Amino acid sequence: MTGRGTPSRYLASVLRNGVGRYVCQLQRLTLTLSRDAPSSRGAREYVEEKVVDFARQNPQIVFYVCPKKIRIPTVVAEYLNGTVEEKFLTSKTSDEIAEIIHKLANQSGLEIIRIRKPFHTDNPSIQGQWHPFTNKPSVLSVQEIGQQCLSSPQK
Amino acid sequence: MAAALLQPLGLQACRRFLAAAAGRVTLRPQPRRDNKRWVRAYLEQQRRLEPPMRRSEKPNWDYHAEIQAFSYRLHEKFSLDLLKTAFVNHSYIESEEARRKMLGLEKEEIALNLKDNQQLSEQGASFSRCYLTECFEKAFPKIPPAGIEAIVNFLTSEELVSYLARNLSLQDLTLCAEFPVPPNMLQQTFFAVIGALHQSSGPQRTEIFVRDFFIPQLIGKDLFELWNVVNPMGLLMEELAQRNVSPPEPRLTRQSGATTALPLFFVGLYCDKKLLAEGTGETILAAEEEASRVALRKLYGFTENRQPWDYSSPKQEQKAKNVISSN
Repeated sequence: MTGRGTPSRYLASVLRNGVGRYVCQLQRLTLTLSRDAPSSRGAREYVEEKVVDFARQNPQIVFYVCPKKIRIPTVVAEYLNGTVEEKFLTSKTSDEIAEIIHKLANQSGLEIIRIRKPFHTDNPSIQGQWHPFTNKPSVLSVQEIGQQCLSSPQK
Repeated sequence: MAAALLQPLGLQACRRFLAAAAGRVTLRPQPRRDNKRWVRAYLEQQRRLEPPMRRSEKPNWDYHAEIQAFSYRLHEKFSLDLLKTAFVNHSYIESEEARRKMLGLEKEEIALNLKDNQQLSEQGASFSRCYLTECFEKAFPKIPPAGIEAIVNFLTSEELVSYLARNLSLQDLTLCAEFPVPPNMLQQTFFAVIGALHQSSGPQRTEIFVRDFFIPQLIGKDLFELWNVVNPMGLLMEELAQRNVSPPEPRLTRQSGATTALPLFFVGLYCDKKLLAEGTGETILAAEEEASRVALRKLYGFTENRQPWDYSSPKQEQKAKNVISSN
């Protein structure tokens, strides 16, 4: 699709995050996995090896581990602005799962769509809006039409 | 005899054939009964039609852990009891007690023994108002008290505070009878959190908290967006009279296309033959008003190109000073 057709947004952050202080935007993670299913083998390994360390390092994220009889292990991330994102972890190794969770923890929860430009300002022009006198000498406006320049200040 | 012998044989053969036919029927590929493709779409539609639920009613909710994570998230040390009190609104206690009464519990068990956040919220609101007023008086000493009050009112308004609270996900933790949580409850809860912080970590940390969350909201805001001045020219005259400057003289500096559909006028305000400010507009009156607003912004130091706010913590400054003095 063309650039105009795809949804897009400006570069922004939630509540001007980081101007005052940084607030981690991920608030909750729910890892659902099966005890027996071969598809959640990596998820089981992750729970055995890494989940406690992750929870210790990130006390601002509430981590729920939910054993359930399912085929597709998932991780559901909930952000402060209400976004809920679900990732499937079928047949992923524990390292891959750790990478996915690390990525989720560093996101802001804003929509992942095309960002129009890698920078944004509320005041795009310093010079201001164009008007008929932009870049014109100010003498022009003072004189009446047909009047000759009697004594210009430069001479 | 032969016929008699043949008959049962024929019957048996018949039965075998029938049985085989029956078996063949079961072997024939049947329509798959579990492949109902409409089910998924239907369930998704039903899920969307459902009224929104509180997060606490959904699976996986540990209130204590959530509260703890909340305090870590803000990088503040709360006493957890105070923080839990800060989230309890009065309407929650009332509705919960009414519910218990409906269930027919005894009077002793009906009482919840919870404190509501009224006191904390009042404390937090008054503290943040005081601090913000003090802050702006220090940062913009030339703005009159009415202007400072307008800025503080904007920052502590229901709209802005509930916006802050919603983006810190306070609506999940707030205990309140109504759902979705109304903005005035969110405002009250946010101030109660500030009050709880004030009681558990002292005023200095609270000042930094208020600064970090309220003042970034002023980025990109114009003074007269926050402060509704009806007659800026009158205000400018007053200000100049206070400073013993002669009253401003509006003069038309430039104009273009006065008789067209898109006229343009430039009005300059002169004080003692010096240009104070220049404003534009589609009519002369609008241009004059704009010029007086520009002049006021310059006088008060609240221009677009003002210095960004200083968010460095006072502790660091003290440390730097100590280092300098020790050297």
